[in-house]
Amino acid sequence: MSDRPTIEEYRAKITNKQFQAYKCVGCGAVITPPSGTCYSCGNNEMDWTDVSGKGTLVSFTVIHIAPDEFVDEAPYYIAIIELEEGSRVTCRLEGFDPLKPEEVELGVPVSLTYITEGEKTYLAFKPT
Amino acid sequence: MPLKTTNIVSAAQTKFGKLDGLTLREIFSEAVDKATVDAGVPKEDIQAAFIGTFIPEMLVHQGHTAPLLLDYAGLKGLPATRHEAACASGATALRAGIMAIESGIYDTVLVVGAEKMTSVSTNKATEALAAAADDTFESSIGLTFPGVFGIAAVSHMQKYGTTEEDMARVAVKAHKNASTNPLAQFQKEISLEKAMTPRYIAWPLKLFDCSPISDGAAAIVLTSAEKAKQYTDTPVRILGTGQASASMNLCGRKELTSFEASVAASKQAYDMAKLSPKDMDFAVVHDCFTIAEIIASEDIGFFKPGEGAKAVRDGVTALDGDKPINPMGGLKAVGHPVGATGVKQAVVIYKELIGEAGANQVQNHDTAIMHNFGGTGATCVVNVMRRADA
Ligand SMILES: [Zn+2]
Repeated sequence: MSDRPTIEEYRAKITNKQFQAYKCVGCGAVITPPSGTCYSCGNNEMDWTDVSGKGTLVSFTVIHIAPDEFVDEAPYYIAIIELEEGSRVTCRLEGFDPLKPEEVELGVPVSLTYITEGEKTYLAFKPT
Repeated sequence: MPLKTTNIVSAAQTKFGKLDGLTLREIFSEAVDKATVDAGVPKEDIQAAFIGTFIPEMLVHQGHTAPLLLDYAGLKGLPATRHEAACASGATALRAGIMAIESGIYDTVLVVGAEKMTSVSTNKATEALAAAADDTFESSIGLTFPGVFGIAAVSHMQKYGTTEEDMARVAVKAHKNASTNPLAQFQKEISLEKAMTPRYIAWPLKLFDCSPISDGAAAIVLTSAEKAKQYTDTPVRILGTGQASASMNLCGRKELTSFEASVAASKQAYDMAKLSPKDMDFAVVHDCFTIAEIIASEDIGFFKPGEGAKAVRDGVTALDGDKPINPMGGLKAVGHPVGATGVKQAVVIYKELIGEAGANQVQNHDTAIMHNFGGTGATCVVNVMRRADA
């Protein structure tokens, strides 16, 4: 295993329901999903950090026509969440009716959870 | 400074749509012949070729397409390079051609875009298209292309009050313009009611908000100002060009109601041309989804952020409006053979600027802007063009 955080580990942490983000060693910026270089200071040394799991809903869609691999899960939400730490993730949403997307308000507080579908575990957020 | 010497002297496209019985090389070759021998440009004059194809590896199981296609079109031996930037593949090939002419290395080059998408199943084609998004962090959780633009639509609706009906009006306009374009995939008008049919693909985007899967090719010949008059009395100059990239991931962008690569590439192209949006008579923009046209119309500076939908409602972007957009019918109704699209957009601008757009002719046609972007908006190419005698 590499000394540096790796993408494989990042994904494994989601699968194991122990989500962690990258943190820039140079300036402390929290980075999700992984990047090889810090968006804030340009440093390329990264470490792991826990996150509070709190965030807000930035935007979303509901996938009705899904690729073969996801057909059985449709319709499902895909959302952009801004973490309290300032960085964003693309993830699933839980706790909203996929047939009533017009009832979902942007900007609402959400908190981290996971959705399991068969052998897959997705990073997800639900209303706080 | 505006580009010194690049001129378009001929431009052509094949019919777009499901071209049964024709392979990629045959479609490619047809576009090349229309833009060369049929247009009075001898093939012997072509010195190099720049070719846009997105993903023939998955669509027709063929890599290294540039020499293969060029050989079939009777141009074996020339330097031939394939350019790939998802839906902006064609425009990145065009930019390479522009730089080749401006550098003085060549006098005359060929730019071609082509894609054969319908020989695989719709599911396979969709899977191939998905390769233009970040597989590791977005496609792998089930985000699709319509989903990407669904997210942009939700943000635009929330921030500016844009509605599903506004988006449907873009589709109605596209189909109306394409109804008189004999090379369009759909030559049929649709009603607003039909465009609003609630067959959701990725909420709030419905079937009629999405461009189709298509086959087709487009080709243009670029030459220096010195040589241009030997081919045509009405060359079109490319005055400014811009290209920018952005995060592939939507979560890597601060702004979801505008595409930062579009804004940056537009600024580069306008600055280089020493022109501004008010100098543009019309635009050809990348309407892979209806919301993409609304956002592009704002990103290229035709309308203020949030006012793109109103412009559609008010008919400003209609064929007979003050700022026509996609006068031939756009990707939505003409079709979107991915690698061909960026070159086809230049073909449309060329035809309109020289006054040969037939029933789709815009009234003012001196200067125009083309906007082609790739995938989730991670690449954008913008060119500003003007008829040489304007
Ligand atoms: Zn940093």
